[in-house]
Amino acid sequence: MKMTPLAVVVGSLLILATIVFVVVLLPYVNTSQTAPSDIFRQRAADEAAGRKLYIANGCVYCHSQSIRTIDWGLGAERIAQAGDYVADYPILLGSQRTGPDLSQDGGEHPDDWHVAHFTNPRYTRPLSIMPAFRFLGDDHMGNLIRYVQSLGMKDADRRMQRQRFWKTEAIKGYEAGPDANVQWLSEHIPQGWRDVPNPYPTSEAGLARGHKIYQDFCLGCHGPVGDGMGPAQPWIYPPPLNFTILKNREISGGILYYQIMNGITGTAMPYFKRELESEKIWDVGNYVAVNFINDSDANTEPKGIDAAYEP
Amino acid sequence: MAAETQTLESPNTTAKGFALTSAFWMMIATFFGLLGATELVAPDLTENIGGIVFGRVRPTHVNLVLFGFVTPGLLSAAFYFIPRLLRTRLFSERLGVFTVVVWNIALVGAVATLAAGFTQGREYAELIWPIDIMVVAAFSLVFYNFIMTVKNRQEPILYVSVWYVLAGTILTACTFALGNVIWKPDSGALVGIHDAILLWFYGHNVFGLLLTPLSAAVAYYVIPRACRAPLYSHTLSLLGFWALIVVYTHIGTHHLLQVPVPTWLKVVAIVDSVAMVIPVMAFLINIWYTAKGRLGEIHADIGAKFVFTGTIMYFFVSIQGSLMALPDVQRVTHFNNWVVAHAHIGVLGFAGMIALGGLYYTIPKLSGKPLYSRFLADFQYWMVLIGMVGFTVVLTIAGLIQGNAWLNGETVYRVLPEIHVYYVVRAGLGLMIFSSAVLGFYNIVRSLFGKTGASS
Repeated sequence: MKMTPLAVVVGSLLILATIVFVVVLLPYVNTSQTAPSDIFRQRAADEAAGRKLYIANGCVYCHSQSIRTIDWGLGAERIAQAGDYVADYPILLGSQRTGPDLSQDGGEHPDDWHVAHFTNPRYTRPLSIMPAFRFLGDDHMGNLIRYVQSLGMKDADRRMQRQRFWKTEAIKGYEAGPDANVQWLSEHIPQGWRDVPNPYPTSEAGLARGHKIYQDFCLGCHGPVGDGMGPAQPWIYPPPLNFTILKNREISGGILYYQIMNGITGTAMPYFKRELESEKIWDVGNYVAVNFINDSDANTEPKGIDAAYEP
Repeated sequence: MAAETQTLESPNTTAKGFALTSAFWMMIATFFGLLGATELVAPDLTENIGGIVFGRVRPTHVNLVLFGFVTPGLLSAAFYFIPRLLRTRLFSERLGVFTVVVWNIALVGAVATLAAGFTQGREYAELIWPIDIMVVAAFSLVFYNFIMTVKNRQEPILYVSVWYVLAGTILTACTFALGNVIWKPDSGALVGIHDAILLWFYGHNVFGLLLTPLSAAVAYYVIPRACRAPLYSHTLSLLGFWALIVVYTHIGTHHLLQVPVPTWLKVVAIVDSVAMVIPVMAFLINIWYTAKGRLGEIHADIGAKFVFTGTIMYFFVSIQGSLMALPDVQRVTHFNNWVVAHAHIGVLGFAGMIALGGLYYTIPKLSGKPLYSRFLADFQYWMVLIGMVGFTVVLTIAGLIQGNAWLNGETVYRVLPEIHVYYVVRAGLGLMIFSSAVLGFYNIVRSLFGKTGASS
């Protein structure tokens, strides 16, 4: 084959044109007919403004918005559909997941948690490597939070409704004073859980494990000494629970376990069932009970058949 | 290729301009890489400095590496060898210098706009419309300069390097405009899933139609010359060239295998990703057989040494890329640092090494005297090689940890401390790459402007 300038230039341009037709234009026949999915809704003005900030600050380089069939983490309850993205330009699928996928982050946390988190992510999540976004200023941060709280669209709206309802209840509970607040919190735990003591005896190893979990997950809000005065405290209302007031208030191991596992919607307390396996939740609960409440029910009755691994 | 005498009086201003551009922006680009890597280790080190928040640093690093360091480095060599391969002068040095100026203004604009938060928010297509226009104009001017040089040629036969440079510049001008949705200046994006399909068509073509053809052109020029041997096979050149353009352009959707895009398009992308072995091996066999039995000559020339190493990295990155397009592999590798490792083998190990090789091969010829320091160039070679292989090792390990942990149901947050140590090592290696860029800049400036070339 003789390679003339014409053959090289026109030939490669023709090939490119053909391939653009096949892999860019032809798919448009499919994708242009995408109907909005069942959770789709348009964005409000403040949410759209927040999305611009999300783009300007390159959030997309660490947070995907693309839930896959193989995902287990945040948002895995709903696999992404083409119809979720019909209003997105540019689309923000992301290519790296240094932080969690945010497709369904809306309503996972109340707004005050986000304020603390954007102010410095390590205030709420001690192991996070996300940059602080206080430099955005309050207005911009507010819009960014509106955008994040809209992720998941109609599903997010339902979760936000739940957050707002329980936020009002939680504030009422908190403002009624420590006695009423603790009672309000315990009342909402199924009786079965309230009756269960921590089934495992206190051990040095267990406390050491609990200490590590506490530092990695809890310290930002509840503080290093469990008094609820962690660095996130100034932004959070109702404020993080002060464990040191809980002595003689019938806080069982089961209550601690349940609250850590499920979180407390409306407050900044997230659920940890995805992040911590059973033993870690029991261990951190007992760490709190022994060190901060000074009242642990570990290994008391009722308990079942003796555990096989105990010394 | 025996017409050096006719063109010796050429000032080579354009080639020198692109050489300086490449060496300078390699420092800036790798500094941004180091900065980003440091922020992943110590996020509060730069707390609340908005202009260098990680999400703005990363696209700055990527764009500067692609369009500031690697592309100008490869073009510098091209501006040297195209006139020589055609036995003529460059069509216009003034146009070439003008292109260099436009290019550098665009790069300064890229850094400033990204730092200020002006971005289209699409990977590899971040630069905003005015800069897009400058980039497209720059590629068009480069193509125009080359095609006019081709028109004025004294040599009837077009060597394979010329094919690659012509195709690489004109096709990139087209795909860059297309991928940046240049007809929509406000957003630079399409709506919905189709935006992702177009973006990755373009994104992959930055490698397929820009870095790979220009790198192949430099390798096809440097290796036979350094070996003083004829090219092994014209047929393989033809096969590699046309197969590259046909196959590489089909595979962008392999970035979207886990996304709701049409299944037939995923199948096309996977099949062609595997078929990439054809253009890759056609090129590599051609180069390697040319160099067969002559590795001593390659070792003796620092430029050829960089280039030859680049071809070896091309082998690894291409085979890895084909495998990564398989859905079963991608279940583990997608979304994590495995892909970052892959990108560093490709852009630093393959195209970056060849760009540096092109610079070190041509700079003594541009200046008419030996390199300022062969030792520094060798030192840079080993720093880049060790740094790049180190990146690959630690980031691949980190990626495997992430991918397998996620498949196993561990949350992203839980995995962060597991990869921390690899991030620390990566930042250390980044410091090494940045230092090598500073050494390289010094060496290249002294080589071009020093009074005499001192050998060491």
